[in-house]
Amino acid sequence: MSPRILFVAVLCCGLLVSCGDKSGEKDPMSGAAVVALSGDADNFNPVVSSSATSGEIQGSIYPMMFDVYFDLQEGELKFDPGLVLRTERRNGGKDVVLHLRTDVRWQDGMLVTPEDIKFSYALYGDPEVASPRRNYVESMIFTDDKFDVDKSIEIIDDSTMVFHFAKQYPLQKFHLNLSPVPAHVYRNADRKTLRNNPANERPVGAGPFKLEEWVRQQQIELVRNPTCTLPRPSKLDRVIFRIISEPTTRLTELKKGTVDVMRPVYPDDVQDIQENNPDIRLETLPPRNYEYIGWMNIDIEAYHESGGKTIKPHPLFGDRRVRQALTYAINRKEIMEHELGPYGELAVTDFSPIFRWATKHDLIPYPYSPEKARQLLRSAGWSDTNGDGILDQGGKDFEFTLYYNIGNKRREYVATVVQKELKDVGIKVNLQSVEPVVLFDNINNKKYDAFIAGFQVKLAVDPSDRWGDVSNPFNTVGFQNERISELLKLGLHVPNIRDAGPFWKEVQSIIHQEQPCSFLYWVKEIVGVNRRLKSTNINILGVTDDMYEWEIGDPNSYMTY
Amino acid sequence: MTRYIFKRVMSAIPLLFGLLTFTFFIIRLAPGDPVSLYVQGDVDPQLAENLRVQLGLNDPLPVQYVKWLKSMVTGEMGVSFSRHADVTDILADTIPNTLLLTVFALFFNFLIGIAIGITTALKRGTLADHTVNVISLFVYSMPEFWLGLMLILGVSLQLDLLPASGMHSPMARFLSTPAYIWDLVKHMILPVFVLGVASAAATGRYMRGSLLEVINQDYVRTARAKGLSEVLVIGKHALRNALIPIITLLGLSLPFLLGGAVIVETVFAWPGMGKLTVDAIFARDYPLIIACTLVSGVMVILGNLLADVLYAIVDPRIRYD
Repeated sequence: MSPRILFVAVLCCGLLVSCGDKSGEKDPMSGAAVVALSGDADNFNPVVSSSATSGEIQGSIYPMMFDVYFDLQEGELKFDPGLVLRTERRNGGKDVVLHLRTDVRWQDGMLVTPEDIKFSYALYGDPEVASPRRNYVESMIFTDDKFDVDKSIEIIDDSTMVFHFAKQYPLQKFHLNLSPVPAHVYRNADRKTLRNNPANERPVGAGPFKLEEWVRQQQIELVRNPTCTLPRPSKLDRVIFRIISEPTTRLTELKKGTVDVMRPVYPDDVQDIQENNPDIRLETLPPRNYEYIGWMNIDIEAYHESGGKTIKPHPLFGDRRVRQALTYAINRKEIMEHELGPYGELAVTDFSPIFRWATKHDLIPYPYSPEKARQLLRSAGWSDTNGDGILDQGGKDFEFTLYYNIGNKRREYVATVVQKELKDVGIKVNLQSVEPVVLFDNINNKKYDAFIAGFQVKLAVDPSDRWGDVSNPFNTVGFQNERISELLKLGLHVPNIRDAGPFWKEVQSIIHQEQPCSFLYWVKEIVGVNRRLKSTNINILGVTDDMYEWEIGDPNSYMTY
Repeated sequence: MTRYIFKRVMSAIPLLFGLLTFTFFIIRLAPGDPVSLYVQGDVDPQLAENLRVQLGLNDPLPVQYVKWLKSMVTGEMGVSFSRHADVTDILADTIPNTLLLTVFALFFNFLIGIAIGITTALKRGTLADHTVNVISLFVYSMPEFWLGLMLILGVSLQLDLLPASGMHSPMARFLSTPAYIWDLVKHMILPVFVLGVASAAATGRYMRGSLLEVINQDYVRTARAKGLSEVLVIGKHALRNALIPIITLLGLSLPFLLGGAVIVETVFAWPGMGKLTVDAIFARDYPLIIACTLVSGVMVILGNLLADVLYAIVDPRIRYD
């Protein structure tokens, strides 16, 4: 057989095979949506999972205590009934009574009970489990420095339980919203190895979807859970999450119509999509992530040598006037417009503009003013005494290394611009790109004088995340301020979230004044959605929030390969 | 020969042990902490410390090493830090995917490379020689990453002939066996092309040089003088000797079979060993890094051994007894 005939024969066979499989059967893709993700899940146990993918998917599998949504008008999270029908506060707000539904069943037919919830909280709070969400129980009752689940959680009857807190605070409901796991599945599990428990790969949930198949590094397939009553089975037969790490490939799949939802779409691709892909609609998420340049506020050599005891100002950035000068010297608006265009918002502090009630709107962003920067640096004692073009003080040049993660194009651009603009005011910046793991490790351990990083704020206002104690890994710049410490205590002890508004506004004024970091911009993430997918409510809680409501306009519109 | 192979395999054991010990210490001494990837966003600030205790990372290095040695001796490869699954299970899932890609890539690499080499050597100096050289070097000199993306944009997006990524269509498990295989073949074409066909140019250059050297030898001239046909002269007398450098190349290429190809796997979302290894390194997933090193080490040793054995088969002058 000549090669040409062989080639034609193979092609014909392929054609026959590809036509033959569709005859007479319903195409399983007809009621399915496909979502492209950049990374795989780590497991499907909400107590121990850490990956963004797991978080995204688990919400559709496990029962939720509340049906949470973010009210953009009011700028705060709202808690509608879920497994919890209603709550009551007692004992001056220290006790919260939960009235539960009694008709919710796990997908294996067992009832979801208060014992499941108590058992789950015991797992979340056990240091041996090392749950990433262990901090959710830290305001409950502790005995001998250990989370005391029996004193913290009291089961009254099948539909009532009481959570006892050490104090009343505004985030109580937020901390009551941890997903329960079925106690009958995990009761005998070894807590030290809970992360590796095989049951995590076969989750037993009670949500609108259940896990059908997980092929690691390839795809995760969810199918509708017909027994779901919380709130109801999904309208789609199935949703397939495909793992595609390369952004260009992900975008190509969206353009081909073989993927229905993908994130993030980069601002550079928006115009092309709008002009050439009428089937794709682009949705913009409200800003939750910001990027900043961290200036180390404390002398890290002294800090580390003393085992964290000695706190004294950083030789370069310890002076507030210097930090202000650095913000003046960087044209943040131009950087933002170049990199994000309309999908960025200039950051003034680390309070997201989505928290309308808590944001201090009258703070004026530092304008780009090299002259003002020079003036402030002069007043802080920095001048070019030896005429080499670099400012100096006490015989030491104003020179430092700026670290950022390798392969992040946006931060590479920021670093280059910062280097150039600070040179204009007499500061020498050396650039150093670092592998992400090393970068995060060193930032969290306060080993860099200056770095570019990002931060995702949680959806309840809690500035203690960033500005708490210096030893907090997220206080990456070692910033300390007595008044902020007082305000944190005041704001985190009010009965209602909004009562903390004035305290948080004062915190922002101080941060704006002190400039512990130069805040760059908030990023509004863009999500691409195929128009055949209807009723998507892609919002700040996640792309797949309310996924059970998704519908397909034309069930035959999925392009089969 | 059997004794020679046995000796080589035995001598490989301390070599592998040394390699793994070296890797064990190097990854732990390298900057970066396996738990730092977890400590981002809204997580418990004490998480890092709790995780370190759980993973045994707070133990002194010698203690960690003894524990690791014990587990290796019992055949336990451990549990992946980042994927929370048995390392052996992860390898068992990933190795077949990699082999599927790399075996075909290597096959086409050598098949096409040898064909290019023979053609260009026999037609040396002709227009055909120059044309094939220019085209093959043009394709070869394209970065894999770029070539892969261009093929995805051209063949998959614009022409809509082949799928852009993945190993299977999302619902492949509902297909009949022949349709399933056809689905797989369609997904393999682009990555195999980038990985194998595009690098056939290099193999072709080796083959060309080697064959040109051989066809000027006296014994080839003698074969021609005997009146043998050109096919027999080249196929039987010249090619066998010209293949020796190609066998070295094949032996050196064997680690690639299980080592995978990170760039192609990333671009085409192919879940293979290359991406697994790189992801493990970035996540500081110590057990998985060690396992991937073991696989690569074994393949390097086997590749070299196989090349030595093949020399003896191709060249009767080489004897190991």
